[in-house]
Amino acid sequence: MSIGVFEAARPVIKGLIIAVLAIIGAYIGHWVHGATLNDYTPVQPIEFSHEVHAGENEIPCEYCHSWAGRSATAGVPSVETCVGCHKGLTEVRDKPDVVKLFDYWERGEGIPWVKVHDTPDFVHFRHKPHIRGGVECQTCHGPVEEMARVTRRVDLNENLRMPWCIDCHTEEDVANGRDCLTCHY
Amino acid sequence: MSTIRDKLREYRTAGYYTEFEYHWTMAVDLDRCTGCEACVVACQAENNLPIVGEKRMRQGREMKWIRIERYWDDSEYPNARLNFIPMLCQHCDEAPCEIACPVFATYHNQDGLNAQVYNRCIGTRTCAVYCPYEVRFFNWFTYTWDEPLEQQLNPDVTVREKGVMEKCTFCVQRINRAKDLARDEDRRVADGEAQPACAQACPTDAIVFGDRNDTDSAVSRKLEDPRAYEVLKELNTHPSVVYLKNARAPLAGEEDDGHHGDESESHASPVMWPDESSEAVA
Repeated sequence: MSIGVFEAARPVIKGLIIAVLAIIGAYIGHWVHGATLNDYTPVQPIEFSHEVHAGENEIPCEYCHSWAGRSATAGVPSVETCVGCHKGLTEVRDKPDVVKLFDYWERGEGIPWVKVHDTPDFVHFRHKPHIRGGVECQTCHGPVEEMARVTRRVDLNENLRMPWCIDCHTEEDVANGRDCLTCHY
Repeated sequence: MSTIRDKLREYRTAGYYTEFEYHWTMAVDLDRCTGCEACVVACQAENNLPIVGEKRMRQGREMKWIRIERYWDDSEYPNARLNFIPMLCQHCDEAPCEIACPVFATYHNQDGLNAQVYNRCIGTRTCAVYCPYEVRFFNWFTYTWDEPLEQQLNPDVTVREKGVMEKCTFCVQRINRAKDLARDEDRRVADGEAQPACAQACPTDAIVFGDRNDTDSAVSRKLEDPRAYEVLKELNTHPSVVYLKNARAPLAGEEDDGHHGDESESHASPVMWPDESSEAVA
């Protein structure tokens, strides 16, 4: 009984196919990893600098993000809040981004900020319990007061992935912190 | 060394939680229920339930976390009576669906809630098959809301996508909120603070919701009622929803023997009567 060339080479072909698939898989994996686990620094409609406001001028986070301590979302301040201070700050009135701000104010429009730290729809992260528990804003958001443009830093929060949440909830021994219904409902 | 199999067994053993922190319980007084379906509408609005449309409804793909079941009794026209039973997820302490799920998308949590985790669900629909109460619903499509109805979606509740199972959550977003407020003052959730949409909407207060662990709560008092019974009790699912039997005064010409009609009639009724009902009910 003779064996054909194709049949004799079958294990080799099999090995080659597996190798090729493995390489393709590795490429795809690398690409997905790179695409999803990166720092994220979107360009904002106004070059608002946290470095100037929170860093140099030491405005507390909750002055503008005033909902953080009492609701699920930290919130973005209204244009009114910005203008409230900047009306009196005539020395920076001519800076291009402040001019942009007043343009929005005069048109009566909101500023279309790009969300940097966002969770999917099925994750109900709530700021309030975290603030109550004494978590610093910087623990998750990084040193925002040193950022000219806000970055979601992957080394700090793993792009807000669930293992990162669970690690902290386990370490801090949060009451029912590992229950799915704490965040997913 | 405990293998994963041992862990699974431990997880699925009856009474994984020997006691619940809160034991959320609902009491439905069938005597008060008028079948107005306000609870159905309230649930629809609160929990972002899609309107599946006439065609899908005919195909049995309806989405109603709470529904009003109607049962006519056997009597003839002038004496015929309609019984309503609001049917929703019973949050069974020994839930068949939890055993069924291959990925633990449904499980029992420390508050006695039967949880459904949408992002974990892979849509095998096994839980719906196992559920004896038929209260689990599958998203066959990603439903959309016509403008401007998408504006009224509840931001506290996930909008489910195609391929996941869903069911009544006892409005866990409201429970979480109440627990959060209670935590601010370092106390337990008071009775009546956490109310699901159906209980809140019920015009006759037929639906009462609360913590069974709190012996003073309204729902605990309802549980002591002799009319109280559990639906499909013989399956030993230990539901967290307790029904209070419909006990109405007999109509003219009817015998006042505790329940309408004779013994054979009451057996024919689809309503599950409690064992001790005939003595207890006046």
